[in-house]
Amino acid sequence: MLTPIAELGVARALGALSVSAPEAASGYAPPVVDMAGPWWIGLIPFLPMLGLLLATACAIGGVKSKLPAWLTVGCLAASFAATVLAFFQLNGLPGGGAQVTVWWEWFGLAWGEGEGQRLSANFGFYMDNLTCLWMLFVTGLATMIALYASEYMSHDVGLGYCRFFAAFNLFVFSMSCLVMGDNLLLLFLGWEGVGLCSYLLIGYFYQKPAAVAAAKKAFIVNRIGDLGLVLGVLLTFVHFGTIEYAELFGSDKLVGYLAAIEAGNVDEVPLIAQMIPVLLMIGAFGKSAQLPLYVWLPDAMEGPTPVSALIHAATMVTAGVYLIARMFPVFLLSEWALPVVAWVGALTALLAATIGMAQFDIKRIMAYSTVSQLGYMFCGLAALTSVGGAFHVLTHAFFKATLFLACGAVMHGFAGQLDLRKLSGLSKVPGWRIVSIAMLVGCLNLAGFPFTAGYFSKDMILAESFITPGMAPIGWILLLTAGLTAYYTFRVFFRVFVGPVHYEPGDEHHGDDHGDDDHAHDGHGDGGFHPHAPGWAINLVLAVLAAASIAAAGLYFLGDKGGWVAGMIKDSTAYYPGFAAFTAEAVAHGGEEHAAHGTFLGMDPHKVMYYVSAVVGFVGIGIAAFLHGPKGLGGLLLGGRRRADVSRADGVAAKMGPIPAMAQGKWFVDEFYQFVVVGPLRFFALVFSLIDRLLVDGLVAMFGWLPRWIGGALRPSQSGVLHGYAVGMAGGVVVLLVILALMVFREPADPDADRRDAELIEFESSRVLDRGGPEWTTDADPVEAGAGADLAAQAAVEPPVMGSGS
Amino acid sequence: MSWVPLILIVLAPLFFAAVVIVRPSEHARTIATVGALAQFILTLPILTNFKWDAGETVQGVGSLPWLPMLGLEISVGVDAVALMLIALTTLLGPICVIASYSAITEKVKTYYAWLLILQAAMVGVFMARDLVLFYICFEFTLIPMYVLISVFGSTNRKAASTRFFLYTFTGSIIALAGLVYVVWFNAYGLASDVVQGAGTWTFDIGVLTQSAAYMSGTEQGWVLLALLAGFAVKVPLFPVHTWLPLAHTEAPTAGSVILAAVLLKLGTYGIYRFALPFAPAAVIEYAPIIATLSVIGIVYAGLICWVQTDIKKLVAYSSVSHLGFCVLGLVAANAVGLSGSVLYMINHGLSTGALFLLIGMIYERYHTRSLREMGGLAKKMPVWATFMVFFTMASVGLPGLNGFVSEILCLMGAFQADSAWAAGGLAPGATYGNVGPWIAAVAGTGMIVAAIYLLFMVGRICFGPLIEPAGHDHHDDDDAHASKLPTDLNGREIGVLLPLAALCLLFGLYPQPLLTGLESSVNQQAALVQAGAERVFAAESVLTLDDARAPVEWVAETEAAR
Repeated sequence: MLTPIAELGVARALGALSVSAPEAASGYAPPVVDMAGPWWIGLIPFLPMLGLLLATACAIGGVKSKLPAWLTVGCLAASFAATVLAFFQLNGLPGGGAQVTVWWEWFGLAWGEGEGQRLSANFGFYMDNLTCLWMLFVTGLATMIALYASEYMSHDVGLGYCRFFAAFNLFVFSMSCLVMGDNLLLLFLGWEGVGLCSYLLIGYFYQKPAAVAAAKKAFIVNRIGDLGLVLGVLLTFVHFGTIEYAELFGSDKLVGYLAAIEAGNVDEVPLIAQMIPVLLMIGAFGKSAQLPLYVWLPDAMEGPTPVSALIHAATMVTAGVYLIARMFPVFLLSEWALPVVAWVGALTALLAATIGMAQFDIKRIMAYSTVSQLGYMFCGLAALTSVGGAFHVLTHAFFKATLFLACGAVMHGFAGQLDLRKLSGLSKVPGWRIVSIAMLVGCLNLAGFPFTAGYFSKDMILAESFITPGMAPIGWILLLTAGLTAYYTFRVFFRVFVGPVHYEPGDEHHGDDHGDDDHAHDGHGDGGFHPHAPGWAINLVLAVLAAASIAAAGLYFLGDKGGWVAGMIKDSTAYYPGFAAFTAEAVAHGGEEHAAHGTFLGMDPHKVMYYVSAVVGFVGIGIAAFLHGPKGLGGLLLGGRRRADVSRADGVAAKMGPIPAMAQGKWFVDEFYQFVVVGPLRFFALVFSLIDRLLVDGLVAMFGWLPRWIGGALRPSQSGVLHGYAVGMAGGVVVLLVILALMVFREPADPDADRRDAELIEFESSRVLDRGGPEWTTDADPVEAGAGADLAAQAAVEPPVMGSGS
Repeated sequence: MSWVPLILIVLAPLFFAAVVIVRPSEHARTIATVGALAQFILTLPILTNFKWDAGETVQGVGSLPWLPMLGLEISVGVDAVALMLIALTTLLGPICVIASYSAITEKVKTYYAWLLILQAAMVGVFMARDLVLFYICFEFTLIPMYVLISVFGSTNRKAASTRFFLYTFTGSIIALAGLVYVVWFNAYGLASDVVQGAGTWTFDIGVLTQSAAYMSGTEQGWVLLALLAGFAVKVPLFPVHTWLPLAHTEAPTAGSVILAAVLLKLGTYGIYRFALPFAPAAVIEYAPIIATLSVIGIVYAGLICWVQTDIKKLVAYSSVSHLGFCVLGLVAANAVGLSGSVLYMINHGLSTGALFLLIGMIYERYHTRSLREMGGLAKKMPVWATFMVFFTMASVGLPGLNGFVSEILCLMGAFQADSAWAAGGLAPGATYGNVGPWIAAVAGTGMIVAAIYLLFMVGRICFGPLIEPAGHDHHDDDDAHASKLPTDLNGREIGVLLPLAALCLLFGLYPQPLLTGLESSVNQQAALVQAGAERVFAAESVLTLDDARAPVEWVAETEAAR
């Protein structure tokens, strides 16, 4: 089913193929797009949609079993299988190739034949290596986490269970649309869709005011970013005349701009094109929780932990990274778009890490670490190593999901307890071995321990930051952050999983508070508490994900230089070969050319960063062990902690003045926003409301009073005196006569007069059109005729600004 | 297509209204249901027989001479835009009737008879092809609505209905003056060979559309002002919106639904049908002002929503905010903006209508609209809460639901409507118009504001700890006023909401049939506005003395400075 516009796309793609072949060696090569992709690609998003319908049916049917979970797992697994299939058949395509599968026409409106005179956005799916990479881990992780959730949410079996899995499916559908959409509007559908699911799932425990507030905050803060995204999309359309990737990435305009930039003619890119990435990045900052819009993500931890793992760590929050990677050619158009992204990413990474260091809630610590790691990914993109960014997205997805799910298991088992001062030595509690090992694997990855996946992906970003000219400060910030990350990660591990065994239950039943829930569970708070060890589903998922986190390191050695992910990204539009060629050459030549791009203290960052970041990681872990580790081997022989709630860090913190308290208070950013944004807005709302009420009661009441008032004013005229009426009557007659007279005289005496007027107008307007500008001299006004001559000359040089329509 | 089915959908509800009056009151609601359903079912063949690929041509034309010497006749006919709005009206008819079963228990005959009469009047407005029929129907809609509010409304109904009537009536009178001026201009201001049908008294909308564009810029300005006095009040556009919250709050549920879904659209439809073609140059010239008022309305009313404690008032203000987008699309006057605007009329009718229905269902159970007295109802009424969240999301403009389609089209229409930009060559996607990206960007903040107030509403009423009004904990037992309704929605109520929900989803995921149906209409309308405006601007740039003089003074000043 090829719509006319699809045919256009084919023609364009073929054109791009023939044009781009010679210049593919360096610079930007438009992707080769096959507009007739296999129909079943669309199953990847629509199988979760089926899952949504099934879960809804379960809700309507009042199913009181784990059926919705199994249906969900089945649908998601099928979706994952379809993705794998797509990956293999995509491999047959030439490099940089993409497939588009259109399921149906969503938007389509034409107002002309020319370029940019048709708005078109289909329910179509764009499959290239970038898409495929993202979809593989989205659907794969979603399947695993759904399995985990089947156990985690088991105490909610019934309506809540159905609701959870319905939203879960909807999330995967939306995320698939976001990643696979073949146009920016479908991306936006997914973008807002994942926002909705995030809203519904954060607010899953909807009777908890904190959860409702957090859900609301997430949605609204995201909407601020979304406004930027929408405006970026609109500007893209207005400037490029299309919002479909196939056309956009192959458009002569984009190719021309990139060629101009490569040739050093940056000025050829108009400001309007440079504005597009700036607007788009606002959306990315919102969704991926970067400064200044990161505040929603830590609060989002109010949701059930599987949600935190899938949505708020592994997949949805990487949507901003995806957006920039997807629109990478457009981001290259502005000289300062990517540097801004880098600085925002680096500062966010640092800020979030400092906050994470001072928190006591382990899930919050992970949340801040997510914010921080997302900052790394942005830096990775901005250092022109979208490979590093994407690789970090992938490794982070696995190890952060592992970390969150391990935290979730703790939360599930210890009645909602998340305070690291109230948990200690969990690895020694029977039944918690797998959780502890998974946690250790996750922590090692996050801390960038040598030869873990997180180590390789972080190194890639760090090295590239030092190489890219002008980004060395960013590299230093990231290096510092890497140390902090290692510290706060192992702070959690040393406190919670090793050391003397101690635990206090939380004040909730598994994080939610269904008042009349069964109280058969373990006793509350008193001595009789027994932790609830995870069952097979949680353990299985944790084992698989921990294994995957380790195995992800192998991807680095798979394929060409840079690993498998590099191979995937290099075959997509997210990669800019021009710059890479430049650096690779320079590295090979060494010597004086090396100075042209960055070095790390005079050394080649690629080689030295492995050692530097390993040392930084060790230092971080060491400090954590010293401050928080228990006595003995569990604390790497550095620690001395004997109790759950007291550590050496308390003494250090006491000497640092107000800084730890401020970091624990999240640097009071929330309070600042409340004071600067929310408060004034609320104030205006109240003032407007007051004004409006006055208008209602004032102005409208005046309407009501006006006739009475006029009546009152006119009442004296009803005096009963005859000549008064006579005067009034005469006045009325005069007015009528005047009106009649006016009408008569308005009526043309000469029936042709109007036509002559019309002809004159036609004539004058044709003159204007002929001259291509307003005509200033009129013979009718001899006084101005003299000035008019000069004026015509003036007008030719500098036409005066006319009315809006001219 | 024949004119007969068009006349039938006006006459059918009137006939059934008469039956309601003569039959005993216990049958009233059944008869009314049949009447409203009959009207809806009679609409279906029109929808199928209409030639959508020629949506811009008026189809089903029929006319009846009335006072031929004055050019008065009653003529009907629909184009794609009118037909879509008719379909919306007749769809909501049975829904409103069925939704009123349990809410209206006294004076049922009066209620249902006026409801049916209102249905007839509203479709009459949309199918009118001459000004007389249009204006009669337009004004006549006030009377049934006045009765519905003043008899069946809540506490403050008298004041609300009076204000509603006076406010909109005053505006309409001024609009009438503007319309009559156009008729007069056609009869006396224009030679008969410029436009066919000019030079005679006629109220035919087609003829007037042709000839009105020959009015001078000044005339068009005044006509636009007069028309807006009527239509902007109806929309309602900031700052003449103040009648709406009160009327909405006090009206019975079905009244609110019709008010929001259809009566407000009479204003936007009026702007589409009359203001744009009658005063194209003025619309383009003053588009920045009207657009600015729309944007103020979007943000201002949105923020007011946020501090409301009366949930019905909140949704009422949200209409003011939403319809700002609709007007924005209209004054953008390009294909995207106009189609977005027409879709907005339909989509707002579906989602806001449903929100009023949902609030009515709560009111029937708890007899309060205060957000202070209720909260966390999802615990007690999960089905109701699901619908509430769904329609709120439609209202927020979540992609995949209907509200988004129209909102993004209106925004985009406004964004690209910039003549200077279009001429610059850098923006092939820009079109003729005078709104531009800056106004659109500010209007876009409405997206954020809508999320703020609507999530505030849902967060209060659906989520959080369960709060029920005092004395309603066991309302089935001890409250004399308590309805016999179950705690959660019953089958009838779900049945009322489901079609709306289905349409919200359908128009969100597959709006293409609507867009295709509108494409030729909006393109014709946009071309008409552009041609009309360009003609006047081209003529006036030469002929207006002020314009000619301004540069002379400028030259003189620069000479003096030298």
